[in-house]
Amino acid sequence: MTQAFSLKGYAYLSDSSRRLVARIDVAPHEGAIWVRVTAEDGQEIVRAPLVDAKIDTALGRTARKLIFSDGTLFETYDHAGFAALDKDTHGARLYALEHFGPHLIAFTAACLVAAYILWRYGLDAIAALAVAATPQIVIEQIDVGTLQTIDLVMAEESMLSTEEKTRAQSIYTRVKAALHEKESKGRNLELVFRAIPEVGPNAFALPGGTVVMTDELIQKFPDEDVIAGILGHEIGHVVEDHGLNRLYRSLGVYVLIALLVGDTGPMLEDILLEGNILLSLSHSRAQERAADEFGLTLSHRAGFDPAGLKVFFERLGSDSSDDKQWMSTHPSHFNRVEAIELFIDGLK
Amino acid sequence: MVLTASDNHSRDFVFKGNAKEWFGIWIVNLLLSIVTIGIYSAWAKVRTRKYFYGNTFVDGRNFDYHATGGQILKGRLIVIAVIFAFQIILSLLPIVGLFLVFCLLLLFPWLITRALMFNARVSSFSNVRFDFVGTYGQAALVYLLYPILCAFTLYTTFPILDRTLKRFTINNLRFGTAEFRVDAPLIAFYKAAGLAFLWLIVVFIAASLTIGYTMFLSLEDNPMAFASSVLSFYAVFFIGFIPAGFIYQALIRNVVYNNTTLTGGHALRSNVNAVHLFWIVLSNLLVVITTLGLMLPWAQVRMAHYLADHTGIEFVGSLDNFIGTQPEETTALGDAYSDIEGIDVGLPI
Repeated sequence: MTQAFSLKGYAYLSDSSRRLVARIDVAPHEGAIWVRVTAEDGQEIVRAPLVDAKIDTALGRTARKLIFSDGTLFETYDHAGFAALDKDTHGARLYALEHFGPHLIAFTAACLVAAYILWRYGLDAIAALAVAATPQIVIEQIDVGTLQTIDLVMAEESMLSTEEKTRAQSIYTRVKAALHEKESKGRNLELVFRAIPEVGPNAFALPGGTVVMTDELIQKFPDEDVIAGILGHEIGHVVEDHGLNRLYRSLGVYVLIALLVGDTGPMLEDILLEGNILLSLSHSRAQERAADEFGLTLSHRAGFDPAGLKVFFERLGSDSSDDKQWMSTHPSHFNRVEAIELFIDGLK
Repeated sequence: MVLTASDNHSRDFVFKGNAKEWFGIWIVNLLLSIVTIGIYSAWAKVRTRKYFYGNTFVDGRNFDYHATGGQILKGRLIVIAVIFAFQIILSLLPIVGLFLVFCLLLLFPWLITRALMFNARVSSFSNVRFDFVGTYGQAALVYLLYPILCAFTLYTTFPILDRTLKRFTINNLRFGTAEFRVDAPLIAFYKAAGLAFLWLIVVFIAASLTIGYTMFLSLEDNPMAFASSVLSFYAVFFIGFIPAGFIYQALIRNVVYNNTTLTGGHALRSNVNAVHLFWIVLSNLLVVITTLGLMLPWAQVRMAHYLADHTGIEFVGSLDNFIGTQPEETTALGDAYSDIEGIDVGLPI
C-alpha cells in the first residue's frame, strides 16, 4: 500500500461507551503503515502502526473494527475501504468464501454428501477406531461391572442342575471351537448361568466376551441345535464388538449434534434427539441381523443344524404378535425367520 | 445535569442480519466443521455469536462477542475428555461412578457460574464489556438446594424457584460498572405458570378423550393399539408440554424484562406474544425439516428479528455514560459444558 487514505466511522474511548464521530487516516511512514484516529472536532485520539492494532475478521455487513492497544476502538461500515487493511489474510479469504454466490451451491451439496457419509460410514469408523483404542482389560472390567449390576438389580443364582449346565457348557465349547483363530484371539469367551424371570428364555453377550444364559432358555428349548444357534448369535455380538460400537456411536452422535449443529432453536433439538434414538434402533436391528448370520455360519461349521435359530424365533413369534419393528431394538421375529431361511439356503 | 422530559428516550432493539448473508457464513461454518472433524466448530461458534451480536443494535450501537476459537476449542476438548473418562469409569467401576455422579452434581453450579461469567465477559455493547459476579454459594442454592426443596412441595413453588433463578442470573449481571436489577412481582410468575398449566390440562383432557377411544378399540384386539398409544404419548409431549413451556417462557420474558433496570435509571422492555412466538417456532420447524435443515439460517434470522422487534430500552440521558471495566479472563470450561449439554447461557437478548 503506497496510497494514503481516510475512512469515516466512530471511535470509542477505552473503557467507555462514549461514541464519537471520527475518521482514520492510513498512511505509510518510515517503512511501516500508520493509522491515526481523529475525532470530528479535529482532536487526535490515537496514532499507532497498523501492525500494533488488532483487526477483527470481516463478517457479513457487521462493523469492521480496529482495536488499538490502549483500548481505543474504531469502527466503520465502509467495508470496501477497510478491506485494504486486511487483504491477503486468512480472514479476508474466509470472508470471500462466505460471500453469497454460486459456489455456495457446491458447498451445500458437499455438506449434504458429507453429512450423509458421516452418518452412514463416519460414525462406524469413529466407533471402530475407539473400539480398537480401548484396551482389552477395560472391556473385561465392563463385563465385571455390568454383571455385578445385573446380579444386584434383577438376576438370581441359576437353579439349573449340574447336568443341565454341563450340557449347555459342552454345546458352548463346541460352538466356540468353530471360531477362526483371529476371531477368538485375546478374547475371554465365558458362559455364565443366571435365573432372570423378567427376560424370559434369553441369552445376552457383554462386550468383553461374557455370555449370560437364562435358566428358562435351557428349560424351554432343550434342543441342542437351538442352543447352539443362540450361543453362536451371542458370540457374533462379541466378536464383532457390537456392544462397544453402539456405546461409542451413541456418544459420537450426541457430541456431533451438540457441536456441529449447535443452537438449532427450541423444539428442533428435541426432535433431533428423538430422531437419533429411532435411527440408532435401526442400527441395533442391523447388528441383530449381522449376529444372526454370524451365529448361523458358526453353528453350521460346528456341526449343528442352523435351522435351530429359526425354530427359536418361530416359537417366540407365535407367542407374540408384534409388528412395530421401527420402534424396536430387534427385528420382528417374523422378519428374522424369513432372513434366516434365506441365509440357510445360501449356506447349503 | 438537569433531567427534563427530553432526556428520556425509548429505543427498540434492531436486528439487521439477513438470511441470505447468514446462509453463506453458516454453510461455510458447517462445511469447515465437517472437514476438520469438528475442530472448526469452535471458530464457527464464535462467528455465529459475532454475527448475531454484531447485527443487534440499540440506538445505532452494536453488541459484540470477543471469545476466540482457541479458547472455545480448549474448553471443549477438556470437557469431552472428562465426559469420556467419566463414561468409562462408570462402566468399569459402577460404585466409584456413583461417587463421581455425586461429584459432578456438586460441580454443576460451578460450571454454570463459569459459563455465565465467560459469556458475560466476552460480550460487549458500545465498547463496554458485561460481567457476571454470581458466586458458587449462590449458584449451589439456586441450582441444587432450592430445586430439591421445590420438589418436596410438588412443584407448587416452582414460580418462586424460577424467580430466584432469574434474580441470580440478572442481579449478578453487570454492564461495565452499571448493575442490572430485576424486581418482578411473584404474582406474575404464578399467573404465567397458571396459564401454562391451563394449556396442559386442556391438552390432557383432549388426549384422554381420544386415547380413551383407542383403548376402547383395543378391546377388540386391535394390534395397532400399542403403537397408537406410543404415538399419543409423543403427541401429548409435543402438543402439551412444549407449547406450555413456550407460553410460560414468553410471559416470563415480558415480566422479567419489564421489571429490569440498569443503574442510571434505564429500563428494559419486552412485549413478545406467546401465540405469535409459538407460531414462529412451529413454522420454522416445519420449514427447516422439509428443507433438510438448509433453511435453518433463515429460521434463525427470522427468530432474531422477532425478538429484537419486541425488545426495547428506555434510557435517561444518553448511552454514552457507561464506564467499562476490565474483567479478568475466565476459563471456557463451563461454556463448553453448557454447549455440549445444550444449556443456554448466552446474553438474554
